[in-house]
Amino acid sequence: MTTLDKAPLELRDRAAVRKASNTVRNWALPILIVLVFIIASVTVPQFFQFETIRAILLATSITGIIAVGMTAITLSGNLFSLGVTASAVFSGVVYIWVGQATGSMYVAALVAIIAAVVIGIAQGFIVGLGLNTVIVTLAAGSIIYGVTAILTKGEVVQAKGTSLEGFATFQIMGIPLPIYIFVLFTAVSWFLTEHTLIGRNIHLLGANENTARNSGISRMRTTIWAFVSFSLGIGIAAVLQASQMHQIQADNLPGLTMDVVAAVLVGGTAVAGGEGSPVKSAIGALFIATITQIMVLVGIPQGPRYFVLGVVVLALVIVLHLLRKAGTR
Amino acid sequence: MNDQVPYRLTATGITKSYGAVNALADVHFELRPGEVMALLGENGAGKSTIVKVISGLVVPDKGEISIDGQAVRLSSVRASQEAGIAVVQQEFSTVGTMSVAENLILGQSTAPLWWSPKKLNDQAKQILARVGLEDIDPRRSVDTLSVAEMQLLEIARVLAKDAKIVIFDEPTAALSDAEIVRVLDAVKRLAREGRSVIYVTHRLGEVFEIADRVTIFRNGRSEAPQSVKDLTVDRVVELMIGRELGHLYPERSQKFGRMVLEAKGLKVPGIDGEIDLAVRRGEILGLTGQLGSGASEIMKAMSGMADVLAGEVLLDGAPVDLHGRHRGIVLGIAYCSPDRKKDGIFAGVSIRRNISSPWLRRVSRLGFVSRGQENSEATRSASNFAIDVNRLDALVGNLSGGNQQKVAVGKWLGIRPRVLLIEEPTRGVDIGARAEIYAQLRRLSDSGVGVIVTSSDTNEILGLSDTIATYYRGRQTASRPVGQWTEPALVREVMHREEQAS
Repeated sequence: MTTLDKAPLELRDRAAVRKASNTVRNWALPILIVLVFIIASVTVPQFFQFETIRAILLATSITGIIAVGMTAITLSGNLFSLGVTASAVFSGVVYIWVGQATGSMYVAALVAIIAAVVIGIAQGFIVGLGLNTVIVTLAAGSIIYGVTAILTKGEVVQAKGTSLEGFATFQIMGIPLPIYIFVLFTAVSWFLTEHTLIGRNIHLLGANENTARNSGISRMRTTIWAFVSFSLGIGIAAVLQASQMHQIQADNLPGLTMDVVAAVLVGGTAVAGGEGSPVKSAIGALFIATITQIMVLVGIPQGPRYFVLGVVVLALVIVLHLLRKAGTR
Repeated sequence: MNDQVPYRLTATGITKSYGAVNALADVHFELRPGEVMALLGENGAGKSTIVKVISGLVVPDKGEISIDGQAVRLSSVRASQEAGIAVVQQEFSTVGTMSVAENLILGQSTAPLWWSPKKLNDQAKQILARVGLEDIDPRRSVDTLSVAEMQLLEIARVLAKDAKIVIFDEPTAALSDAEIVRVLDAVKRLAREGRSVIYVTHRLGEVFEIADRVTIFRNGRSEAPQSVKDLTVDRVVELMIGRELGHLYPERSQKFGRMVLEAKGLKVPGIDGEIDLAVRRGEILGLTGQLGSGASEIMKAMSGMADVLAGEVLLDGAPVDLHGRHRGIVLGIAYCSPDRKKDGIFAGVSIRRNISSPWLRRVSRLGFVSRGQENSEATRSASNFAIDVNRLDALVGNLSGGNQQKVAVGKWLGIRPRVLLIEEPTRGVDIGARAEIYAQLRRLSDSGVGVIVTSSDTNEILGLSDTIATYYRGRQTASRPVGQWTEPALVREVMHREEQAS
């Protein structure tokens, strides 16, 4: 009887290489973050302080929640959405308007999240038909931005008279609510990805679309669910962001799309799909926020900051790609 | 003795170990000018490692290689090429959107920066004629070639490099019998030109047709080369597996039971006319034909992967509506495509999750997957197919072809199939796994699953099926019980229409 122990010998050797490269790939980023923290604590004044760390985590939470939600899209083999900024700003505007109209931040949050999900499902449907995600989400982003600008007449939308900042200011043990929500959202996303039929199908669709089809997995349904995950992230993050800023404008959050995509890729989820985890994207977001915060503390202006961040992201993505290649050869 | 003939290549004492495992242990290999040497062995026996050593992909721990009496160091692919060794890839390296001529001249160190189209095409025509592709217009786009023609083009590319030693790694794995003949002719032509050929294959029939000698590998060791004249198929199989193989094909059922699947007046895309099929309990129906015969299209349509245009399909006597693959799975129709890498397996996913992929919904409650149930059912399916149940977490992409195929078929047990449609059940699969897959198909058939097999390997169709139907260019040309077929009759039925057509 031929059983698995008879696997070709050269494959065993490759399996060792693969295992090593996978281990490096899984642990590289957490180790890198720890190293950056240690080095920054020693060299950057004011870094190792409660306020700084809290600021980093707070900055991570907005990008992180969206990156965690978007991981489902990337995992399903549908690349990523490039319409993050427009959708988040739109949901933020909805939050403030509904909050003003109803006086309840809970109703406002619910409506804002539902608005994000509806927009997401529409995009998921079009992508599910077989269109390229990048094109669909770029176009959708442009449409949503336009609609937001027309509806708000390009002006700043402010919460007047009503208190809508509760989600951002509420604290438990000195730690603001968004950080708890971020951790919870990541944990729930991870659990659902691993343990539900939809999560598993998202994984399988990204691993091999043709085999998924032969196994009876619907591309349309699975893609729509991935977009629902993404839009939940958008909606929640938008509510937190609008609460924090207390106002919002169509031109806000210009770097958000790039930060979110970078967090997913730096985290180590495969661009081609089928491999990765929401937890990885959360760690990716943490890494990006840390680097940014250090540069702010050191006093690097915004332009050079973007430059350095871009170089770091590119370098990491290249290293991850090479490790993955070594791992699958 | 042929001791007077100088060897083209000798490799002595080649040893290569990976960790504690010896991939090659003190292997001796030799090659004479102008001979075709077949390399045989089960997956993992070491034949692909020795090929990699000779082509410069793997550097051995110990051992010497000499070419034409000169000691050489094949430390890289480039060094191997410079020593006059060329490899015909199993997977095509041609550029689909470019012309045949451009592909032939591309990538050659001697290629000039610019040639006039006329000169390019003339040059290409000469090379094409040497592999029997003289009727191909060199200006044609590679996309328009058949798989066999692409394989021949791949050989032509190697010829353009003028190598002394040519290595073929399963060149016929994706071809039908009629097309194999063209590739084998090209191989023979190379040998006649005085080149030495190393030919790796799973198909024993080819060995007896073209090889002069055979080197058999087993567990990282090589047998002394033997002349094909002194061997029989049974002896070769014995040497390969180190024991006597019982029967490769399982015993047939004594009698057939009730009707499982019946198709009446089926019309599917790619097929002219209507198809009638019937499979009973205990009966394996074999469909065969060349590429493009239509047999594959029938399977796709019945699985729900392609549309059924008209006709009726009865499952256990009740008419069913085939619409979409999901519907097919709900009905209990399992489908294994001929290309497991493309749509049979998830290479980057564990064995367990591959096996559970078609029936995950069944072991889910309220959308949550029951891991315990998934695991116990996956384990049961795996052990039925002799897949090591202790390694269900291994990625399927890391397994040998035989084990991948066992996963690609075994995953369907969990949908409690009523019909199993399987195309090319043992393509690229070693002989041990083949026997297991055949035995499993027979067991399923006896338990009441309707089994339909397509294969371009006539030997397999004859050994496995109870009823054989032949197809040619979208038409069923014959359908008879296996007892009324002989191998020559079947080969003639599959090919003679071509003679009439041309």
